[in-house]
Amino acid sequence: MAVRDLDCLYEACPIPLIKTMKELRTMNSGDILVVHSDQSCVGVIMVEWAEQNNYQVKLVETENGEWEVYIQKP
Amino acid sequence: MMECLKKPWTYWVGGVLLGVLNVVLLALSGTVWQVTGGFLLWGAGALELAGFEPFKWEFFKLHHAKYGEIILNHNIFINKYTILNVGVIVGSLLATLLASQFKIGKAKNIKQVVFALIGGIMMGYGARLAAGCNIGSFFSGIPSFSLHAWVFWIFVVLGAWLGTKILIKYLL
Repeated sequence: MAVRDLDCLYEACPIPLIKTMKELRTMNSGDILVVHSDQSCVGVIMVEWAEQNNYQVKLVETENGEWEVYIQKP
Repeated sequence: MMECLKKPWTYWVGGVLLGVLNVVLLALSGTVWQVTGGFLLWGAGALELAGFEPFKWEFFKLHHAKYGEIILNHNIFINKYTILNVGVIVGSLLATLLASQFKIGKAKNIKQVVFALIGGIMMGYGARLAAGCNIGSFFSGIPSFSLHAWVFWIFVVLGAWLGTKILIKYLL
């Protein structure tokens, strides 16, 4: 099981989500992707998308205005 | 109270609030919410300061009903459209401060800056050709039964589709 980081700081929606979809395609089952972002909409849209597509997902606000989204490929 | 400000609201709550506020604004001020008109006047005012005569251009003759009164009787830089725009900025600042999510944004790289500038200029130019942006043409136009807003809507969908294709192909 690998853990990969995806730096999406200072990038506006929907780029973080598109980058995440692209990155997940290259990953193996069980791998975890950590997306770093400073856009409040990323939290909502990523969690919504992940749940719809049956990915395990967790959203953490690491500091004010900065988030980490953990997504596990099933 | 802070907890409900922290998380983004659902689309329908935001939509209903925006709709109600736009009705209140129309009732109180006689003008619907719009954004680019204010910046248009700023741009024209800046050109005038630089020695041009933008208010003699054909554009302002065409839009005399809308801007004529302001050009003649008010300050080009401080008018009701300016107040609307400053209100958006102050309101967003207040919202992000209440949620303690204020943060100075940085540019990721030069490419992002260049594309943001090109995109901004194209959006501004397009908004003027279409007599408004998302807000003035679409959000305020369709409830006002304006046909131009429906035409705007069709082309916004086409443009967004094309923009997404370009984004995925060249910018990621």
